[in-house]
Amino acid sequence: MRLLEPLWAGLATAAFAAMFNLRGKDLPLAAAGGSLGWAVAAPLQAATGSQAVAYCAASVVIGIWAELIAAIRRRPAAVYAACGIIPLVPGGGMYYTMLYYVRGNGSSGLATAFATLQTAGAIAVGLALSGAASRLLSLRAIARRIGRRPGGVDKAGR
Amino acid sequence: MDRGDAPIDPDEALLFAADIARVMLESGGETYRSEEAAVAAAGALGGAEAECYATPTGITVSFGGLDGRVHSIVRRIKRRAMHLERVALVEALARSLVAGALDFSAASEELGRIEGLRGRGPASSSAAAAAGAGFFTLLFGGAWNDALVAAATGALISRLPPVMARRQLPDFFANLVAGAAATFLCLVARRLGFATSADATVIGVLMLLVPGIAVTNAIRDTIAGDLVSGVARGADAFMSAAAISVGAGAAYQAWRLLGGTIPS
Repeated sequence: MRLLEPLWAGLATAAFAAMFNLRGKDLPLAAAGGSLGWAVAAPLQAATGSQAVAYCAASVVIGIWAELIAAIRRRPAAVYAACGIIPLVPGGGMYYTMLYYVRGNGSSGLATAFATLQTAGAIAVGLALSGAASRLLSLRAIARRIGRRPGGVDKAGR
Repeated sequence: MDRGDAPIDPDEALLFAADIARVMLESGGETYRSEEAAVAAAGALGGAEAECYATPTGITVSFGGLDGRVHSIVRRIKRRAMHLERVALVEALARSLVAGALDFSAASEELGRIEGLRGRGPASSSAAAAAGAGFFTLLFGGAWNDALVAAATGALISRLPPVMARRQLPDFFANLVAGAAATFLCLVARRLGFATSADATVIGVLMLLVPGIAVTNAIRDTIAGDLVSGVARGADAFMSAAAISVGAGAAYQAWRLLGGTIPS
């Protein structure tokens, strides 16, 4: 991993977050998730040689980061997670799939297409894992919320 | 709530709950999140046994009203665009309704305000697209000049989908044309000597178009058990990817016919 890569990943994430209409403090927070994910994914991929493993691990980290920020900012974690995975999503894979087919190399194209799908799956599984972990850890908070169902005490006192 | 015991009209509550789910889905919220928000809102407004079934293209909400009848409504979802600020605000709105911090009229007003939130203007979204394409090119190993070419191309093609949408053309054609334009412009720029690495430049620009998030969300929906949504989103992503590939592939072939070389 070149030294500046996480910086580019973060800035690209910020640009996409802006396109997704996030504003203010959310922009740098979402961008930090993208940087963090890349900083985990790139060295892991170099070490293991497996993009799926690296991206799955990075997505877990992005998911945890998103849950943390979400708890602090009181917003859905998905807002930050959707931005954080931007540098990981397999745009390059789709491009190379297309390029192989244009060059008439169908078998490489098929292999790349499969690897691309595998990468997307790895990211989804990573996010699902961190989401499940955060749900398990905050079971008590959920139980408290259920106890306060509609018809209960009006908290605002109105 | 603050108007004592004046009951909320079940049909109005139903419309409101459906609108919550609709705004959430139109803004790129997840399927389960919009279902949960609609059910929570319907419950908070006095509906019994509220249920919501949402897919990326439509929602159904039903509940038993205080009048003892079952009320239900169908809402079609035609356009979807990422607007994460709206997703966060609608979620907060549903929560404060459940917590009793908002009454029905205040909540309706707030939902109207959220729906009226505009996206970024053309200049601002072009700038964001330019930055996105440029930084992705750097991330994929492009040089500074490649990033500048990608940024200029990205800013140009980011104007295409809104223009096509205004002319009522399906997303498929917008993706097709944008994929072709992006690739062709990058190849021309490399030929003229502005860009060095065609691969990094084209990928940087195409990152603006490729449905990476859509594929990931399709798999996430399926994992979460929203099977119909997952398959629908997967089909949507597949069609976008196919359109972009056909466009980019056509641009490469045209380039070859014009005597250019395809980068390896």
